[in-house]
Amino acid sequence: MTFRTKLPITTISIFTFAFALTGPVFAQVDLTGEWAPAYHEDGPERLPGPELGDYMGIPINDNARLRADSYDADRISVVTEYQCRPHSADYGMRGLGDLRVTRQIDPTTQQLVAFHTYMPAWGSVRTIWMDGRPHPADYMPHTWQGFSTGVWDGNMLVVTTTHLKANYLRRNGISSSDKRTVTEYWTRHRNYLTVVEYVDDPVMLTEPLVRSQNWTLDPGQETHRMFCEYAPEVPAEVGSVPNHLPGANPFLHEVADWYGLPYEATRGGAKTIYPEYKLSMPQPEQPAPAHCERFCVCSVLLDCNLHGGALGGPPPAR
Amino acid sequence: MYSTVGFKLQWGRCVQSRRFRNLTAAGIALWMAATAFAQANRPGQPQNFDNVQLHMIPVQGNVYMLIGAGGNMTVQIGNDGVMLVDTMFAPLADRIAAEIKKISPGPIRFIINTHVHGDHIGGNAALAKMGAPGSSPTEGGGATIIAHENVVNRMTKPAAGGETPGATPGLPTDEYFTPTKDVYFNSEPVFIIHEPNAHTDGDSIVLFRRSDTISTGDIFTPERYPFIDVERGGSVQGLIAALNHILHLTVPAHLQEGGTRVIPGHGRLCDEADVVEYRDMVTIVKDRVEAMIKKGMTLDQVKAAKPTFDYDTQYGSGDAFTEGVFKSLSNPPKTPTVKYLE
Amino acid sequence: MKKSLLFTVLFSAVMVAQAPQGAQPPVLPGPPPQARPGKTAAPVDFTGYWVSPVMEDWRWRMVTPVKGDFASVPITAEAFKEGQNWDPAKDEAAGLQCKAYGAAAVMRVPGRLHITWQDDNTLKIETDAGTQTRLFHFNSKAPANEPASWQGYSEANWERPVRGEGDPRNDIPPIFSTRTGTRGKSLEVVTTHLRPGYLRKNGVPYSDNARVEEFYDYHKAPNGDEWFTVTTVVHDAKYLNVPFITSTDFKKQRDAAGWNPTPCSTR
Repeated sequence: MTFRTKLPITTISIFTFAFALTGPVFAQVDLTGEWAPAYHEDGPERLPGPELGDYMGIPINDNARLRADSYDADRISVVTEYQCRPHSADYGMRGLGDLRVTRQIDPTTQQLVAFHTYMPAWGSVRTIWMDGRPHPADYMPHTWQGFSTGVWDGNMLVVTTTHLKANYLRRNGISSSDKRTVTEYWTRHRNYLTVVEYVDDPVMLTEPLVRSQNWTLDPGQETHRMFCEYAPEVPAEVGSVPNHLPGANPFLHEVADWYGLPYEATRGGAKTIYPEYKLSMPQPEQPAPAHCERFCVCSVLLDCNLHGGALGGPPPAR
Repeated sequence: MYSTVGFKLQWGRCVQSRRFRNLTAAGIALWMAATAFAQANRPGQPQNFDNVQLHMIPVQGNVYMLIGAGGNMTVQIGNDGVMLVDTMFAPLADRIAAEIKKISPGPIRFIINTHVHGDHIGGNAALAKMGAPGSSPTEGGGATIIAHENVVNRMTKPAAGGETPGATPGLPTDEYFTPTKDVYFNSEPVFIIHEPNAHTDGDSIVLFRRSDTISTGDIFTPERYPFIDVERGGSVQGLIAALNHILHLTVPAHLQEGGTRVIPGHGRLCDEADVVEYRDMVTIVKDRVEAMIKKGMTLDQVKAAKPTFDYDTQYGSGDAFTEGVFKSLSNPPKTPTVKYLE
Repeated sequence: MKKSLLFTVLFSAVMVAQAPQGAQPPVLPGPPPQARPGKTAAPVDFTGYWVSPVMEDWRWRMVTPVKGDFASVPITAEAFKEGQNWDPAKDEAAGLQCKAYGAAAVMRVPGRLHITWQDDNTLKIETDAGTQTRLFHFNSKAPANEPASWQGYSEANWERPVRGEGDPRNDIPPIFSTRTGTRGKSLEVVTTHLRPGYLRKNGVPYSDNARVEEFYDYHKAPNGDEWFTVTTVVHDAKYLNVPFITSTDFKKQRDAAGWNPTPCSTR
């Protein structure tokens, strides 16, 4: 055998050994890309924001309900530390959710190490570790995005997030606690991304809160950077924390009255989320308006009119 | 080997350390009883220290946090030696020293006590004995223990007979009575700041300025309601003022996260946003109890109204906290709250 | 000679090591394999009783929204105009009580599902709300003369691996990459032949040209509860600016507790 014959054989042998060392790779789903959110569920809540006193659909316990009743919306401007408060990893998926997903590949093994997500709302950067590392100890700091690890279940990515700071279940006073664990199920079908969130919060909920959000692939999307700097907006005593004393919040009946809903139903709780509640739901205290008066057309931010519908005219053509 | 350290107090005056006093047997017994009582007041104190796990985690700059039993400890290291904030319990001292040795070979030169409770000062004597005075370049002789003078007063409270107690191992050797005291150690300014009538009347928080870390003692305990030790001069008014002061000192790095690290008296490593959550809770509960007092409600009536209900699933039973708030609002502390210039 | 033998042995070993577990052998061009019955091919079990806890869109699902409330739906101007004409009494009189229970919307109506296999190639979904029945046909196309109905005709398949359009012979041998695609567990359903209906009970319309794509994904929660999520994409150029995408979550029940068949209603 000549040198000319030896060299290609040697080269191929080296390459094959290298491939053998990397081990088999199970092809999974490519979740990377620019994803545009579809606000086709709960649009008014997720875009302009939820009405005060709207606890519908959330299995809150009595403790969380009192905390929400005590919430004064002034807090977000008077308490300057709230002005730049981001949405956490779980609530961020509900809000202004333009999403970029990238992945990190180990250059040596060519294995997936992590997915990274970026949401321009508050410049939220999140890492979903795919390399099997454990979650940190309880005494380590909590962050807005928490600590996330992911495993594949067939074509579904199952993400577990711990070490989250207290944040929102709904940004009208319904808080989420720092003791919650969030499990997400990410699936991609063609150019649709669905993320189901399972929020287990023993402090605020009687049972897990399950909500799902959808995105469409949008390669033309360009996400931007967000800056936030707090500024004193209203004169206030140092350390002032706006809150309503128990029983003194004057706004809790608004959502029921505006939309003609039973007040009991607007108070949330597990009882109100199951189909059988329709049989026992009380009558509304105020009749529903004859025609929609608030947020009648609302599927994108610029299309979300407070007084739309017949008054606001049809939505603009796209 | 180790550089000398200089110290100064506010206003440039040099304050002499108090001389050691002679102890009577009754004084020793009284102090031990007081310590045991303080320890007994702390929830969850383990009886068997053999099962306690110690975890040393880096915080930032020169500062580490040691978690174990009792109060969290802060450990600052560098060329000058080791500075500790609080000392947990005496039976853990050797193990604590071993953990410190893993990160620094230097002697313990300073111990700062955030307040008088036994789970924060229990290891004073044993750990100080291993060290050397902060201001001295020599090795050996015992570390300097700094605390507010009310800590010393509480630890040396005269016995029923009125006899003045004497020196005792673990007693602070360098107490201060001014609003602040500062020390330059391991290449950074260390501010020891008195927070009047907060958790107790002898509270100090410690700001490591270059490491951008604050040790708060039990003024901030993110996983439980605050214990307002009214018997030892604590008050909700002082507690809220202290929490607001901590928020004044903290600066987050990016969107309310990171930046100044906060080592609480108990619980996980935190930052400003965590202190905000806690401050909000204390303020809201105070507002509620205050409104009930204005209506003329008694303590039992206030407790029955459960002013902490919405936070109980987070922090546990709120009865003791409610009682502390009620008592301190009903009998406000006489010491005026100090307004800080920074 | 010895070196070439060594090379052959090494090469073969690498090929064996590279092959993912359970992978199908690479598909060479030729006649497609015979399709397996839907029930046999099922990678997950959707049968049983399921309930939809309403934790999203509560005031558009648990109660009938007021007239003109189109929030969240990406409607066209024509749909906006059509929606103003909603008249539940008129629908009742015309026997159109089930207009809001068609395939494009029925999964959003609060209620329970009973899922069974009608035969090896037909998955049946019965709803107690509106007493509707949906049939998902595997290995079958809609007949040419299929009449329009509330539930239309649903073609179902278990998700096939996502492949590019390149030559499959690039897979042989798998030296540089493997292209086994995903190991999907999703049920995909496309429904056509629908009667005009409502996306919501307050008359948000969809047309008889609507096409409904659905993806059913099963998962187990950390506490052991079984769930599935159906992502529903309604395509309707007449009444929707863009495809209307919702995802509805169902929790498995141990039995038929709460099963409460109720007829369709316009209110």
